[in-house]
Amino acid sequence: MRVLILGYRGNPYCGGQGIYIYNLSKELAKLGVTVDVMVGPPYPDPLEEWATVYKIENLNIWSIKTKDIPLEKLKRIFSPWNFADYVLTRLHLFPEMETFSFRAFFALEKILRTKRYDLIHDIQSLGWATVPMKGYGIPIVTTVHHPLTKDREADLQRNWGIWDKTTTILFYPLVMQGFVIRRMDRIITSFHEGVDELKKAFRVKKERVSVVYNGMDVEMFQNTGEPREENALLFVGNTEDTKKGLVYLFEAMTMLPEEVTLTIVDDGPPKKMTAGDLIKKYNLGHRVKFTGKLSYDQLVSIYSRKTILVMSSLFEGFGLPAVEAMSCQTPVVVTTAGSLKEVVSPDCGILVPPMDPVALKDGIMKLLKNKKLREKMGKNGRKWAVENFAWSVAAKNTLEVYKDVIKEYRSRV
Amino acid sequence: MPRAKIWGFLAVLLSAALFGLSIFSIFVLNYRDFTIFNAVNLNELSTMTFYAVSIPLAAVAVFVLCTGFWIGWIILTIKVVPPMPEIVEKKDNSKIKAVFLCLITASLAALIIYGVYVRSFWALAVPALVISAVVLGAVFWVGMAIITTRSTLIPNKK
Repeated sequence: MRVLILGYRGNPYCGGQGIYIYNLSKELAKLGVTVDVMVGPPYPDPLEEWATVYKIENLNIWSIKTKDIPLEKLKRIFSPWNFADYVLTRLHLFPEMETFSFRAFFALEKILRTKRYDLIHDIQSLGWATVPMKGYGIPIVTTVHHPLTKDREADLQRNWGIWDKTTTILFYPLVMQGFVIRRMDRIITSFHEGVDELKKAFRVKKERVSVVYNGMDVEMFQNTGEPREENALLFVGNTEDTKKGLVYLFEAMTMLPEEVTLTIVDDGPPKKMTAGDLIKKYNLGHRVKFTGKLSYDQLVSIYSRKTILVMSSLFEGFGLPAVEAMSCQTPVVVTTAGSLKEVVSPDCGILVPPMDPVALKDGIMKLLKNKKLREKMGKNGRKWAVENFAWSVAAKNTLEVYKDVIKEYRSRV
Repeated sequence: MPRAKIWGFLAVLLSAALFGLSIFSIFVLNYRDFTIFNAVNLNELSTMTFYAVSIPLAAVAVFVLCTGFWIGWIILTIKVVPPMPEIVEKKDNSKIKAVFLCLITASLAALIIYGVYVRSFWALAVPALVISAVVLGAVFWVGMAIITTRSTLIPNKK
């Protein structure tokens, strides 16, 4: 089977999309699939070992002021797609997906003169030109972890004033994504509730959605054997993202004993102010600390050392930190929001309702008081993560979807 | 002079000249008597010629105005539940502004459609001027950035 994976950003070290492309293509190749990847910058250099990479140009100038754009990029602005990108970004739109799809459409036309694909797998770009790609006679599958409507809603919650709200509405290309997603042959999402979310957000028919759990690197995320700290909570995630429900965790912290501390893996003030302001408000300065961005090794170490990982989310499209923590034998206390109630089995962690700081506090206390339960849940978590969330499992399940889509497509044509 | 800088100067000069020319020809040249434009009779054009020009222009203008209306409508109608505790105390009058945004954009869109229907000169000239200003403004701004930006410094070997 020959598959073309499309992704508008390919950095394999940060950003969910790049990591997804990197690992999925690697595992698919191991399963005997010939994988080509058409990808925008930052480019995934090491991919060449198992996939043919077609690099698509993009200047990545969103949110960069014109005077701050490097000269090398300025020189290239006057080409048609780059100029369209430039003008649209100045109007506060995020056109990367649109322009990527058009560039990919024309690049694909040239590639198809010498190659043939059984399937195209678009990784949540859903640009306008993905629809005419169907004219090439190849079925198209897309992966959408969660609809962007959730992100927009969370941003609008935080926005204050008409200008902030206008720029948020302009930023999310929901009209385009809604139009394109309904025309895809199959949509892959990473949790069962996501099927309803997609139906609600984009009127996608349920029978066209397949659920494949996301993967993670279970080899890398293993317990390091370092001694566990006591009463040490861990939060991993973007503190500026209101969907993470950090405010409820801070409220829970005020009800927990003074010796309980919280470590946040993200930047704190002055780079990111939201969490800092809340810490001041709840007077938690002496109990909360920020680590800034961590390397993978440091992240694995911190997962292995802290007592519990806490996720106070209001919505999650997957919940990667919970899976990483489980993989490192760390018990978790998570809300039942979005995918978390599927991702975390009750024998690996404690599930509490979202937006309920008292329930969150009770869940944390239950685990802090019972070391045996923590150890048991930690071991169960590792087993659960390996069985369900290894990249090899994700690739195998994705391949099953590919086969099903190709069979269905060929029976139609 | 590096070739990029020459392109930068050309972009600035060309965009400024073209924009200046359009402002001069419409506003400066005729500042004594704007009624001259009322005499422009677009009815003399064949239906085909008129609509070949007016439909793309009006479509772009109405699309932009509809986007404005849509933004206002979303702000008015979106249910953001539940409010985050940290922002609930703040007062936000964006819904009132959104009503005005909807009213203004809908009125302007209706005005453009009516203007095209009655073949008004201004219904074509105003959107054309605005679209040109956006494109030329972008070219000018990039040109200025090219002229004023220093090229990447040679990395310090130390």
